[in-house]
Amino acid sequence: MNFDFELIIQSFPLLLMGAGVTVQITVLSVGFGLLIGMFVGIARLATIWPVKMLAAVYVDFIRGTPLLVQIFLIYFALPLIVGQRIDPFIAAITACSVNSGAYVAEIFRGGIQSIDKGQMEAGRSLGMTWGQTMRYIILPQAFKRIIPPLGNEFIAMLKDSSLVSVIGFEELTRRGQLIIARTYGSFEIWITVAFIYLVMTFTISRFVDYLERRYKTDDKH
Amino acid sequence: MISIKNLHKKFGNLHVLKDVSAHIAEQEVVVIIGPSGSGKSTLLRCINYLEQPTEGEIVVDGIPLTSEANINKVREEVGMVFQRFNLFPHMTVLQNIALAPVKVRGMQRAEAEQVALVLLEKVGLSDKANAYPEQLSGGQQQRVAIARALAMKPKVMLFDEPTSALDPEMIKEVLDVMKTLANEGMTMAVVTHEMGFAREVGDRVIFMDEGRIVEEGLPDDVFLNAKEERTKAFLSKIL
Ligand SMILES: Nc1ncnc2c1ncn2[C@@H]1O[C@H](COP(=O)(O)OP(=O)(O)OP(=O)(O)O)[C@@H](O)[C@H]1O
Ligand SMILES: [Mg+2]
Repeated sequence: MNFDFELIIQSFPLLLMGAGVTVQITVLSVGFGLLIGMFVGIARLATIWPVKMLAAVYVDFIRGTPLLVQIFLIYFALPLIVGQRIDPFIAAITACSVNSGAYVAEIFRGGIQSIDKGQMEAGRSLGMTWGQTMRYIILPQAFKRIIPPLGNEFIAMLKDSSLVSVIGFEELTRRGQLIIARTYGSFEIWITVAFIYLVMTFTISRFVDYLERRYKTDDKH
Repeated sequence: MISIKNLHKKFGNLHVLKDVSAHIAEQEVVVIIGPSGSGKSTLLRCINYLEQPTEGEIVVDGIPLTSEANINKVREEVGMVFQRFNLFPHMTVLQNIALAPVKVRGMQRAEAEQVALVLLEKVGLSDKANAYPEQLSGGQQQRVAIARALAMKPKVMLFDEPTSALDPEMIKEVLDVMKTLANEGMTMAVVTHEMGFAREVGDRVIFMDEGRIVEEGLPDDVFLNAKEERTKAFLSKIL
């Protein structure tokens, strides 16, 4: 077997651009996911049962179905409802955000539940509302504890975002496929694609480790 | 100041408070004693609605605990000090104390911090304003917790075993702060087994057992000449 090193060098800039798109979609999706997840995570702890149930249904549906199917659902089924085609970029971000939101919601729920119940009681006994206590007392403490699982969610989303290649969105994996279709260098390209993913996930996990260590020695403030 | 009528509290099938009626007058210091599980904490927590009464009526400073709005109003008037302090670990001592006056009373931050500093001086911790709770001893944390409750200028203070999580040498510093408060005329309901404190500053002692008020009276009467057998049995164990 002859290994075409030249092909790797030639394709590298294109693949790097794909990697940039992958990072972009991951950052946006986890960003929106964070927003969705925070509210849904809090909603799951609400005492108003319709709110609680809606949140549970959302989380169960997303976590109980494959992301690939969710992407197809949004890309192919949504246009039938909305009545017009939707852009692959919008579809990709929507699917990944909605997906990430469910996982982040569970992370938030766990983080909030890990805070001593006495904190909520202290806040309430001072006359603060449930919302105020959540905002000023519970969430700031929960945020610090959920940094590691949020980091893992980011890494998972970075890898899972390769699935949006199926709707033709040109992130890293799709770029690889396109180059292979042109050059037939499957082995060279896939190994390069894998390597780029690895470098990205490794870098992030080191960064999360660093944050975790920093907040462990610094748990209280 | 506080009037409790025919209060019942159930947790599922567990009947924790059974037809409790009590009255706490303005400036009165009431000490609540009783065996573990007798419902002392639950009673205090019902007064500021941390637990929702199953049945009965509670009126605090003329405000009946009926609507959500009233509950928050009552909580503004009633300070609570917990066994485990429950300070906010991510805030400095000063921030702990100034938070509620700013968020609930709408006080300016600078003014709230001024109030906080005055209160810290009162509990003897002026030098700890910028420390974080974890940097303080248990006794210091509890004194901060008292200052935090006082910052809301409550009309009533509830204490739930404020010294039972403390090492013996720190108990006095907390009790001293509480005595000062009592002498200044604060209305207080205190769950504690510190008999010295009860006899020195308590106006009345309530003995609870199995969710009921079994006996109440002047501290010396209850401690030295209890009428009920259950009270005697309990006191013989703790004295
Ligand atoms: N949130 C709750 N859910 C269910 N049961 C509870 C709850 N809170 C208290 N109880 C039960 O109610 C009873 C009375 O509890 P409470 O804490 O009021 O007793 P206490 O007199 O304060 O005891 P201690 O001296 O141990 O603090 C106990 O049997 C306890 O297990
Ligand atoms: Mg108790």
